[in-house]
Amino acid sequence: METAYHILAGNSYTLKNVRLETAFVFDEDGVTATRTGLFCITVSNGKITRVFPNDAPLPHAIDAKGYLMLPAFKDMHVHLDKTLYGLPWQALSPRRRTVRDMIAYEQEIIPTLLKTSTARAEQLISLLQSYGTSFARTHFNVDTTSGLRSLENLQKALDNKQDSFKAELVAFPQHGLYYTDSAPLMKEAAQLENVDFIGGLDPFSIDNGIQKAIDLTVQLAIDHNKGIDIHLHDGGKEGLRTITYLAEQVLQNPQLKGRTFVSHAFVLAQLQSKETEAVAEKLAAAGMGIVSAIPFRGAAMPIPALLKHGVEVLMGNDNVQDYWSTFGTGNMLQKAHLMAELYGWVTEFELSRTLRFATRNILPLNNEGHMQWPKAGDKAALVLVNASCSAEAVSRMSATVAFAHDEGSLYWKS
Amino acid sequence: MVSRKDFIRNSALGFAGLAFVPGTLKEVNGTTSESAQTSGSYILKNVRLETGFAYENDEVIATHTALFAVEIENGVIKKISPNQPGAKNAVDAGGMLMLPAFRDMHIHLDKTFYGGPWQAVRRRTGGVKGMIALEQKILPDMLKNSTYKAEQLIELLQSKGTSFARSHVNIEPTSRLDSLKNLQKALENKKKVFGAELVAFPQHGVFYTDTALYLKEAAQAGIDFIGGVDPYTIDGAIEKTMDFTIQLALDHGKGIDIHLHESGESGLKTVEYLINKVNENPALKGKTYLSHCFVLGRLDRPQQEAIAEKLGAAQIGIVSTIPFGGLIMPIPTLLKHNVTVMTGNDSIIDHWNTFGSGSVLQKANLAAQLYGNTTEFGLSRTLKLATAGLLPLDDKGVQQWPKAGDQADMVFVDASCSAEAVSRISPVTSLIYKGNIVF
Repeated sequence: METAYHILAGNSYTLKNVRLETAFVFDEDGVTATRTGLFCITVSNGKITRVFPNDAPLPHAIDAKGYLMLPAFKDMHVHLDKTLYGLPWQALSPRRRTVRDMIAYEQEIIPTLLKTSTARAEQLISLLQSYGTSFARTHFNVDTTSGLRSLENLQKALDNKQDSFKAELVAFPQHGLYYTDSAPLMKEAAQLENVDFIGGLDPFSIDNGIQKAIDLTVQLAIDHNKGIDIHLHDGGKEGLRTITYLAEQVLQNPQLKGRTFVSHAFVLAQLQSKETEAVAEKLAAAGMGIVSAIPFRGAAMPIPALLKHGVEVLMGNDNVQDYWSTFGTGNMLQKAHLMAELYGWVTEFELSRTLRFATRNILPLNNEGHMQWPKAGDKAALVLVNASCSAEAVSRMSATVAFAHDEGSLYWKS
Repeated sequence: MVSRKDFIRNSALGFAGLAFVPGTLKEVNGTTSESAQTSGSYILKNVRLETGFAYENDEVIATHTALFAVEIENGVIKKISPNQPGAKNAVDAGGMLMLPAFRDMHIHLDKTFYGGPWQAVRRRTGGVKGMIALEQKILPDMLKNSTYKAEQLIELLQSKGTSFARSHVNIEPTSRLDSLKNLQKALENKKKVFGAELVAFPQHGVFYTDTALYLKEAAQAGIDFIGGVDPYTIDGAIEKTMDFTIQLALDHGKGIDIHLHESGESGLKTVEYLINKVNENPALKGKTYLSHCFVLGRLDRPQQEAIAEKLGAAQIGIVSTIPFGGLIMPIPTLLKHNVTVMTGNDSIIDHWNTFGSGSVLQKANLAAQLYGNTTEFGLSRTLKLATAGLLPLDDKGVQQWPKAGDQADMVFVDASCSAEAVSRISPVTSLIYKGNIVF
């Protein structure tokens, strides 16, 4: 269910009574609580310019009413362009079992979906916003049925929402690069300024060749100065080979370091712990990240091992409600909560660290409990939640009351 | 009667990640629902009910619904008739889907931090016995406002569509019967809007601490089930504790609901011992339950089948919070062998766990994801976890609820059908308990 917000201020304002985390409270067993205090914050042109004590009378400041300010929530894997959210309920069909079945089904329904995809993207964005998310990395279909129309429609939605929502875009060859003849379209998409990443899909099982598909993906990224974010559901040795092959290409092309991602990467959950450690090391060396929707049916993703080796782990809702899955909430705190439950992160310290998956790795306190956000100079990408601290927000999936991304207005729940 | 304001406040204080729209039931003539409630008899109109499945070949592809008028009298559904959209003085359900009110079948209403300040779980050593030592320290303080907190927690459950709970209540030498008495006060205050059955729960062991005496007292103090916890781990022996529990249940005509976390050999032995005892004492059939029963998730497939068959035959039910991650309960196998499976939130926020949402619809959603019930049919069947078994349609799609004579415990959700409600954890818009409009 979406929640209505109204604009409370443009991109320059002062907030008072803002609750910020200031330190951890320790005893002999470790962190027992999180200390917070009330502050004033000045934002100018989308930047935080001043964080100062709450004691001065500021009659014109916006009253944050003691709500906890956290870094903006960012959904790092979602498909805003093709959702059934907002359309009548429809469960999954048991007849469509494989990705290839799904491709055939998409070829059938995409022309109809495209007719309303702008409006539905906006509705889905509103759902994400109701849970405080103001940024997304969204994949958009590039396939022989959609052409580039899914992008065009999505871009319209993003333009309409630009004051309250920002996105980075991944050109996603959902029907394969070669399984359907989508490579020319991908080359076209790669030249577009609003495209940030070259996507991909299971080179082995969809395109029947890891090397050929990855080589094109890498080449497009290099030629057009884009990042890479490929969907990899393939398991087994082919799944692993896809990751290691991509890592080799990134090591040979260091400009791709820090901007190459594998989404899902289910194969990592199938490995023995020694293999996991070895892959995690390779990923870290190549500066590659993993994006996960935190699956919990069957084996869990080895996220703790990835983190241990310094691999960047991002999180997203992926499907909210469509013909792939109907279970997405759109809530990044719900995903963080799920991670905490799944990996047994239950203490104040562990819960507070888990928040980073909702904020793309920005945390108010560092591991020692020193304040590191917000600071003067930081982008004013923020969310206010009804919680006493990050740990509570994650554990209780606390409600959002306001949000802003750095180039837009401050939105307050109506 | 819980006011609408209370609900708005509580949903803000509580688990607001899942959207909640308070009290949409209203009468067309503008009077409040309160007058309808006190009159004891009223008609609900524009009530969406499931009427059948839509098939394509042999596959359920959708659920048919239609709008009806539902007449309530003295806490019971008196009549279901064609919709009367123009009826004056009828309470307008606004096309919301009416489902059997949700039931939380494992919770600890007596012992919660809910309503108080946030406090994370502390990493503790010493296992369950360490937790017992902790409870001995903190319970005297918790008891000071446990009636208030139980009421807060009940309001959270109501906001999620639950009108009935099976609550365990601590019986041990620290609380003695005070936790029970405090909870009974809360339930008395809420009796028009919330129902409960109580399990006398020897959280600190029957013999590990000297609790037997208090359990005997509790058995005569308005409880419904004799509880238990890990007889082997806590009390050091399966038989002595189980025999005591079973005898107490038999002597007082109570049911049994035992917490069993033990996942090894002692866990399996406890299950088998209980099965044998219930078979020897058929009075206990249909009223004996094992809560958690993690050991079932540790068995191999043939063992799971065998034990499920025995549980089904002895009519022993399993109450699970639907764990995921490390251990997966064989719920589909249990259901296949006609074992009653129910769910509950267990902890909402306390010294054991801080993750509880208060929503059993969320638990059903979790089960659907965990066990891959993604189709219209699979999702619609999964609703029974939230309702403790009751479903609007039977497996063939024949309407079986509501029927004239059913107790008027209903929840209204903003969904087109059960399957959607489970998959989307649809917002709860109204709740009726024994004919009383809660919101």
